[in-house]
Amino acid sequence: MVERVLLKGNIAIAKGAIAAGCRYYFGYPITPQNDIPEYLSSELPKVGGTFIQAESEVASINMVLGASAAGARVMTSSSGPGISLMQEGMSYMAGSELPGLIVNVMRVGPGLGGIAPTQGDYFQATKGGGHGDYFNIVLAPASVQEMYDLAIKAFELSDKYRNPAMILCDAILGQMKEPVALEEAEEVTLEAKPWALDGSKGRKPQFLKTLYLSDGEQEAHNLELKEKYDRIREEEALFEGKGLGDCEIVVVAFGTVSRIVKTAIQMARKEGIKIGMIRPITLFPFPASIIRETAKKIPRIMVVEMNTGQMLEDVKLSIENGVKLGFYGRPGGGIPTPEEILKEIKVMLDEEGF
Amino acid sequence: MKQGRYEICLSGSGGQGIILAALVLAEAAGILEGMEVCQSQSYGPEARGGASKADVIISDEPIDYPKVLQPDLLLSMNQEACDTYFQYLKPEGLLVVDSSLVHQIPTNRVVAIPFTQIARKDLGKEGVANMVALGAVGVLSQIISPQSLEDALIRRAPKGSEDINRRALHAGIKEAQAINLKELPPFITSEEEEL
Repeated sequence: MVERVLLKGNIAIAKGAIAAGCRYYFGYPITPQNDIPEYLSSELPKVGGTFIQAESEVASINMVLGASAAGARVMTSSSGPGISLMQEGMSYMAGSELPGLIVNVMRVGPGLGGIAPTQGDYFQATKGGGHGDYFNIVLAPASVQEMYDLAIKAFELSDKYRNPAMILCDAILGQMKEPVALEEAEEVTLEAKPWALDGSKGRKPQFLKTLYLSDGEQEAHNLELKEKYDRIREEEALFEGKGLGDCEIVVVAFGTVSRIVKTAIQMARKEGIKIGMIRPITLFPFPASIIRETAKKIPRIMVVEMNTGQMLEDVKLSIENGVKLGFYGRPGGGIPTPEEILKEIKVMLDEEGF
Repeated sequence: MKQGRYEICLSGSGGQGIILAALVLAEAAGILEGMEVCQSQSYGPEARGGASKADVIISDEPIDYPKVLQPDLLLSMNQEACDTYFQYLKPEGLLVVDSSLVHQIPTNRVVAIPFTQIARKDLGKEGVANMVALGAVGVLSQIISPQSLEDALIRRAPKGSEDINRRALHAGIKEAQAINLKELPPFITSEEEEL
């Protein structure tokens, strides 16, 4: 049975986490994601889970690491400055191949910035973020429904690849309310984690570590990790395509911006301009091949982001020479209007003599 | 229902129950009437007295742009909110004000009802002015049935307050039903433009 309820985006993530069998949350408050810990502080104990407000983000992420090492489904959430503090722990999780969900409801930066919506943490999320040669799995919802669905998906991917996963969203998605279809909760059976440190009685002791000192040991470990990231790139890239069949130009946008682009597309169709869109749902792995293949047929791409051009670089790496690439960005809490986006697209088409 | 996107902006000050009213409205439209709905809000850091605004977008199609661009209906529960948000109203949009607190009204295309006074004098509880206003907004928007509003209110109102809130809602519905929208000018026009 599917139940339709009106939910705030942050709450949808929290509900998705519980539905996915997450029973541990460790975090430290920061706007605009506080609904997540607030909700889980009362709901996790009801399902036999544990909520701890830690003394800092550094402590939170290390509690996540510890619970994950013991085999639990576990999460934390924060925003900009807090996520930065967590980078060391995330690097250790990636190094010791520990799953776990980290939610980043982005706020503007650099520094303390403000609580307005932004996509300024794209680089930090998708390029590792902490030290060392690693990647997080990064999912970018664009609706409250996806906040719920992708929270579940993030835990699945995270466990499957033994790698930290991040949900990257912003204050618009975190704070707005939309109807969400909730599948009736089934009893979640998690796959066994034979690597977990859950007591060695009756078996050989095992360990999880990130320190490799003997000759070539670290290199071998890094190459294994690379092989894993390649598999993730190969198998897990997700995107939404819209109007790609008969368009003159393709916009690439994720999260909140993709919704604004959809409105711009509708406005443009009324004027006889056909715009298509590719919305990456996974930011790592980045859906490079659909962008490459689409650009072969429609060699005009416009990237729109709420930053000064971050995903733009991944799009650049995805396309071949000869593709005309445009960019429109609003940083620091500015939200582009559909009119602005359409105007930029028209400028680009005019330059091309359309 | 009306086809397409309908934008409602509820504005007032913290403590007037603006956000609860928006939540009930969104629940009625999005859950009970099965329409698409997107609700968001902004408010100052103060618990009471700061500016408070809530957006509700209702549509029979998926809602892409998640914020109100130009309200079809603006409710202003005090003068400051009216002064701040009136400029964003659609030319054919409708202004609804609490005439107990809004005295300088910028357009003739307005429905002025003393929500706070009705709540205080007729219902004996000033705190339910938001539900009086919600009843009126529901009727004036012409897209949500009074029954859905009442059902949504029962689902969202704090336990024990259902009865007074229901009476408040109906007081607002009754006020709005007495109004003939056709008698209003079709467009908002500022005084400067008239000159």
